[in-house]
Amino acid sequence: MIEVFFYNNLYTYLFVSLFLLCCGILGVLYRRTLIGMLVSIELIMNGAGLNLVAFNRFSSQDNPYGMIFTLFIMGIAAAEAAITLGIIILIFRKYKHIEGGEIKEMKD
Amino acid sequence: MNFAEIVFVLIMFITLTGALMAVLSGSIIYAMIGLVTTMFGIAGLYIYLNAPFLAMMQILIYVGAISILITFAIMLVGPLYKRPKEWTTLTKFFVSLIVSLFSFFVLLKIIMRAFLSGGRIDAFAISTKDIGRAFFDKLTLPFELISLLIVVSIIGAIMLTLFSKGEK
Repeated sequence: MIEVFFYNNLYTYLFVSLFLLCCGILGVLYRRTLIGMLVSIELIMNGAGLNLVAFNRFSSQDNPYGMIFTLFIMGIAAAEAAITLGIIILIFRKYKHIEGGEIKEMKD
Repeated sequence: MNFAEIVFVLIMFITLTGALMAVLSGSIIYAMIGLVTTMFGIAGLYIYLNAPFLAMMQILIYVGAISILITFAIMLVGPLYKRPKEWTTLTKFFVSLIVSLFSFFVLLKIIMRAFLSGGRIDAFAISTKDIGRAFFDKLTLPFELISLLIVVSIIGAIMLTLFSKGEK
């Protein structure tokens, strides 16, 4: 019998990324401030990247596209964090708080 | 159980603990520290997945850039001691816990079914050289587009915060 190590198994990584996804969903739903929601969204993106790299390692022949997509995810996460923090600072200037549930009018 | 496996279990434990800390802690700066812990753990998992270049980029981009950015935003939005706790009402917490656990068990059932039906999957080794080749042979245009996207978003964030009329 060939011994399969714990770290040489696809499903371990899938479980870790699933756990990150569910933590992110929980955080997005119940966090009070917008920055807490942003942290949770970063958790979800990291779970997606880990998933892609794990599938690339275990079930792709010899092309590195999963890793390249993870690099793209990192770039898009950086851009998203920059633009989101700009918006959060604007909201703080206007409303004096950053609570997601309290921002009711977005018109003027 | 050899040494590599012990280190792997330790890294996995660090990752999961950091994720729980990022979600459940009451203060936002502790959530930030939990996020940084998770990033380091995921970099360790990338090394176990035979992708050291990705681990390096993870530490550079997430721990070096994004977490510092979020920390600056935390410091810019008012003093810490005046802020209310992160806890919302208990009902909201339980409702979101139910939603999260529901999606967790649905996806876990799919993973377990694949695990029980499928056999052993072989691992393929991909080097950093292959990543560079693919970047500059086939995926040159998306690579340049990503850099353009980052520049546009940074300029957009600066313009938003500089030239908007808020109540100062």
